[in-house]
Amino acid sequence: MAKDRNQNEDYGGPLRRLMLGVLVLGLLGLFLLWRIDSPRVEQLRAAVIDKVVPNLDWAMAPVTGTVNLLRDFQSYQRIFEQNQELRRELQQMQSWKEAALQLEQENARLLDLNNVRLDPRLTYVTGVVSADSGSPFRQSVLLNVGARDGIVDGWAAMDGLGIVGRISGVGASSSRVILLTDTSSRIPVTVQPSGQRALILGDNTIAPPIDFLEDAARVRPGDRVITSGDGGVFPSGLLVGRVAADPGGRLRLRMAADYERLEFLRVLRNHASPGIDTPGDLIVPPRVLPAPPEEEEAADG
Amino acid sequence: MAERSYLHLWLMRALFTGLCFSVIFWRILPLSTLPGSWVGPDLIAALCFAWVLRRPDYAPALLIAVVVLLADLMFQRPPGLLAALIVLGCEALKARAPGLRDRAFGAEWLVVGIIAGGIFLSYRLILAILVVPQAPLSLSLMQLAMTVSSYPVVVLVSALLTGVRKSRPGASTTGARRFGS
Repeated sequence: MAKDRNQNEDYGGPLRRLMLGVLVLGLLGLFLLWRIDSPRVEQLRAAVIDKVVPNLDWAMAPVTGTVNLLRDFQSYQRIFEQNQELRRELQQMQSWKEAALQLEQENARLLDLNNVRLDPRLTYVTGVVSADSGSPFRQSVLLNVGARDGIVDGWAAMDGLGIVGRISGVGASSSRVILLTDTSSRIPVTVQPSGQRALILGDNTIAPPIDFLEDAARVRPGDRVITSGDGGVFPSGLLVGRVAADPGGRLRLRMAADYERLEFLRVLRNHASPGIDTPGDLIVPPRVLPAPPEEEEAADG
Repeated sequence: MAERSYLHLWLMRALFTGLCFSVIFWRILPLSTLPGSWVGPDLIAALCFAWVLRRPDYAPALLIAVVVLLADLMFQRPPGLLAALIVLGCEALKARAPGLRDRAFGAEWLVVGIIAGGIFLSYRLILAILVVPQAPLSLSLMQLAMTVSSYPVVVLVSALLTGVRKSRPGASTTGARRFGS
């Protein structure tokens, strides 16, 4: 038998090498294709994930549940302290609740006076987080809703409190949410009382930096950060979080969404979002007439 | 005899695939969505190296390519690049396997470390040349270090649990490779 095998290998030598070359070239070809025509290969990726992950659901749900149960069990050890903490927080919350109720009534009255209609297009689809990115370098989660439920690339995803990320990659019954913490995430925001425009740049940390501020001096830690809707990708006016300053003095975002446990996410329908179907062109202004510099300055501000 | 060993061969291949799938499965569980400050080892690469050095016929190149490509797709990596590099790395290891057979484990570990470092360098270089956004260098270096340092554990576990050991000359198992083959 061993002899037979040796013969096989002698036969197989050049042929095997050829097959190996073809295999490696095929893989590298796929990579180059991805580099050149990323949307199409990303669709392939979404389709593969769409085939694999829902099939694993029966196993993933119980395993995730068990691990979370064990973690909860660890936290039972300090249950007394937690209880005390919760009581204190509850007392504070009561006063906030009172304030919120009063504000809500006032707000409703004012809206009524002004005859304002809130945007009726912002309805949402709720999905369950079925998997995460699996890689420490990418921050994303997979939802169990997809093209079947009308999900479109670019829509915003929130938990109950604030923005979590945006949809990127839609399969038939799954879609991927790139979290704000991912290195490829860029979200245009407004910092609230001062109205400063800025970008949230994901950098793989829990508190992404706030950059491209017009005037950093007018922004203070604790200011509210909401989406600005610049660029037409995100709906405007959604809560993102609060400003915080790190020890180095850099402004960072403390996110409103609870990133520790993302379980259910709302995907906001936003019918204005542009489709992504080309690999990307240069963005040129519609008019190429050179504008006088002072006008440009005004347009920037 | 021949049929039984044939069955055994395919069983071990299925076991290899199953191990890799369970690594992928564990990694995509939505346990923590916080960005962590440390990175675990790339167990799939370590498994490929360990099995290829011991029983190359249990982990053929095509199977490695398919498994790592699936991992590429699942983990949001550039598809195909790491798969191609790992297949090449495994081939390089296979070529060195006869020389390593009678040496101590330290020599094997060193070679695996060098190959893993080579894969790491060429991966980063190719991504840099093609201007693909990359993970932070410190995190990737940490992953490389974790992969290399977890290699003995992977070897030990696959030897103890699945019986994947180096075949001695004269052992009459399917994977036995003769001198010079």
